[in-house]
Amino acid sequence: MTSISDQLVDALGIMIMGMGLVFIFLSVLIVGIGIVAKLCPAPVVAKPDALPSPIATNRLDPKLVAAITSAIHQYRA
Amino acid sequence: MEGLMAFWAETGIAHFEAGQLLMMGVGCLLLYLAIARGFEPLLLLPIGFGAILANIPNAGFTEEGGLLWYAYHVGIETGIFPLLIFMGVGALTDFGALIANPKTLLLGAAAQFGIFATLLGAIALNLVPGFEFTMTDAAAIAIIGGADGPTAIFLASKLAPDLLGAIAVAAYSYMALVPLIQPPIMKLLTTPAERSIKMEQLREVSKREKIIFPLMVVGLTILFLPAATPLVGMFCLGNLMRESGVVDRLSKTAQNELINIVTIFLGLAVGSKLSAGEFLRIETLGILVLGAVAFSIGTAAGVLMAKLMCKLSGGKVNPLIGAAGVSAVPMAARVVNKVGLEANHQNFLLMHAMGPNVAGVLGSAVAAGVLLAVLG
Repeated sequence: MTSISDQLVDALGIMIMGMGLVFIFLSVLIVGIGIVAKLCPAPVVAKPDALPSPIATNRLDPKLVAAITSAIHQYRA
Repeated sequence: MEGLMAFWAETGIAHFEAGQLLMMGVGCLLLYLAIARGFEPLLLLPIGFGAILANIPNAGFTEEGGLLWYAYHVGIETGIFPLLIFMGVGALTDFGALIANPKTLLLGAAAQFGIFATLLGAIALNLVPGFEFTMTDAAAIAIIGGADGPTAIFLASKLAPDLLGAIAVAAYSYMALVPLIQPPIMKLLTTPAERSIKMEQLREVSKREKIIFPLMVVGLTILFLPAATPLVGMFCLGNLMRESGVVDRLSKTAQNELINIVTIFLGLAVGSKLSAGEFLRIETLGILVLGAVAFSIGTAAGVLMAKLMCKLSGGKVNPLIGAAGVSAVPMAARVVNKVGLEANHQNFLLMHAMGPNVAGVLGSAVAAGVLLAVLG
């Protein structure tokens, strides 16, 4: 039975060390990712400059429409 | 008449032993799970069929010179198959979500607690009469908690080849059962309010960052944990082929043809380890139980770590994503997404869960490296 308790102590040691190492390794990686992110900032995705939207080009200025309408009325009158 | 007797002596019927029939039953069960239930079919189907082939009396598949013997000898004893699969997984993995939110690496680390707690559990199981796990056996069993098939097979082939069949079957079965095992644990440890937390959208990650990442991981492994370089190295090679964008042909091959070919032989070779003599032992039962425990503890540790991060960040982290820390890519992340949607119908956690998910792959590879370095 003593051997099992010895083994348990060993296993506990491996557990603590293992978790420690996994955390340290991945924490170093976090720092690394942070540094890389600083060094090469994500390219600012250049948003295409507000393209004249097709709807806008089709739409007529209401004032113009009003003028044309009144002109037609006057011509017909 | 003599010819008939000779023929009879060569038939399967005359030579069946109860154990072989039982193992064929196990093989059929695996086939059923793969075909009818859709559980990890890519692996359980060849493993199940391999189990049937391995238990045919007088066929000689698993004897020296037989097909399955060669598949095992060439691919698994040497560790080549799991490593090739790992390269393919690397080529399939997008680290974007992880690079955008690197803190999720801590979740992938926390979930590895399942591995190390199970190491303790496997040794403690020696108190039960009938179990005699050595420390290397215990380590190979514990890696099931990493929820990563290739890593489990790689470590088992190095540390406890006798137990490989049971360990591989347990690892893949539990990965298939992720949607059943994880949600109860996740719901037990979180409140509905926590589950419905929405997370900020992830930032864009530049191509250069994605290319540097695998190189950085390999660099760190070389410096701190050379024992993990077979796993991490192949993984990063695959990922670099993907992200560099200059070797699309190689990347596609690693992701598709190569990984598929290797999967067929890996499954068959693992199935060949399911022969009655090697599988029908009390240890197998212990391995199946320990595997489930490892998985559950890993999930719980991940969720608890995420809860801690949630508290520290002032409620910006949804604790559910911690459950994805046990690799099992992408199943665990999908489960997180599903449980998140149940709590809040507009909460899509998939991308956020992919970070801890791929972190879990790295975490289990690192944990496997630690176990190899200490016990190998």
